[in-house]
Amino acid sequence: MCWLCEEYGDPEYGNGLWYLNPYNYARNMYKLRLPGEGYAGAEAGPETGARPERREGPTQADLTRAIEEGNGEEAARILPILQERSKKGGQPSQVVPLEDADRVLELCSPIGLIACICRKGARAIDERNEMEYTCMGMGVGMLKWERWPERYKGGVKFVNVDEAKEWNHLMDKRGFVHILMLFGAPYIGGFCQCDYPDCGAIRSAVDFGLGTMKSHWVAQVDYDKCNGCGICASRCQFGALKFEVTSQKANIDQFKCYGCGLCQTGCPRGAITLFDRTNIPALTEVW
Amino acid sequence: MSPLSRMPQLVLGRKYPKISVDLQKCTVPFLCKKCLQICPNAVFHVTRVMSKEERLKEMDPRIDGNYIMTASRRDKCILCNKCIEICPVDAIKIEEP
Repeated sequence: MCWLCEEYGDPEYGNGLWYLNPYNYARNMYKLRLPGEGYAGAEAGPETGARPERREGPTQADLTRAIEEGNGEEAARILPILQERSKKGGQPSQVVPLEDADRVLELCSPIGLIACICRKGARAIDERNEMEYTCMGMGVGMLKWERWPERYKGGVKFVNVDEAKEWNHLMDKRGFVHILMLFGAPYIGGFCQCDYPDCGAIRSAVDFGLGTMKSHWVAQVDYDKCNGCGICASRCQFGALKFEVTSQKANIDQFKCYGCGLCQTGCPRGAITLFDRTNIPALTEVW
Repeated sequence: MSPLSRMPQLVLGRKYPKISVDLQKCTVPFLCKKCLQICPNAVFHVTRVMSKEERLKEMDPRIDGNYIMTASRRDKCILCNKCIEICPVDAIKIEEP
């Protein structure tokens, strides 16, 4: 079991999934503070809820800076520290499959569609209206969107739960992974719609083994149902699913699978099923 | 979480290509965005250096110097030189390691 479910989950409710049990984490959501510091006040940005211990020692920004400067030795020093800390919690995000995403949306209000800051930085894609937005912000922080830092600018379109679900399903059809932004957990700040390499959350997970936590699920192929159409192979953003030439079927590396469920929702024959990670002995500690 | 399940692709011992962007020539990267969109490994990143007072202000990408280009993922550069060919102002230089 992941540390979040151990700490905030309730086996009696939502299958023990932490994010479906706000009773245990909602109190903490807006109360995390740096040691010795008071309330952040009106100056605070949307990332203020971040878990304080994440800010001690080197950050991922330091790692990026070392790579940018070509300082391989510094990068080699920082990466193991970040990986070690990432094991202890404080993850900035977690992959969530579509079905769970619908249930999380029912818990969060208000919900607003916003511009994606990752695509803005990585490919200079300027999303300016509701037709273009590819990110979703949640929680009362959305009401102060005009006070957010410059990188989040681009407007907001508030939606109700049904519209949000419909939008999320549309994004799933387009092939985006749904990543719940925790800003250091337990804080539900938004739903990113991600792909590799434009999305920072997936990129740091795949390239550095940092950040984004895997979902509670893992995909498996039913070989009797799979007809080898190959649609799922184009939908995996984590390099876990490939087309196996010998058997002419989809093949999933479950150690690499993040359980986003995109292969499942894309399969026209229902050949892929998501299984609970904690029921598979070798995968219970693979997050 | 087991680190064994996440094999980092970053090769730490290797030397990365040196990529420099001449900010005197590259002034409106957010509008131009040619190198950002052609790079196969998304090496480049467009960003802003912000002071605390400025961070809430929206910046017009059409004004010179409001956004700056960085080569933040040099480790991913494959030296294909597509960015150099497409750059309309010859601002990018890449040196082999």
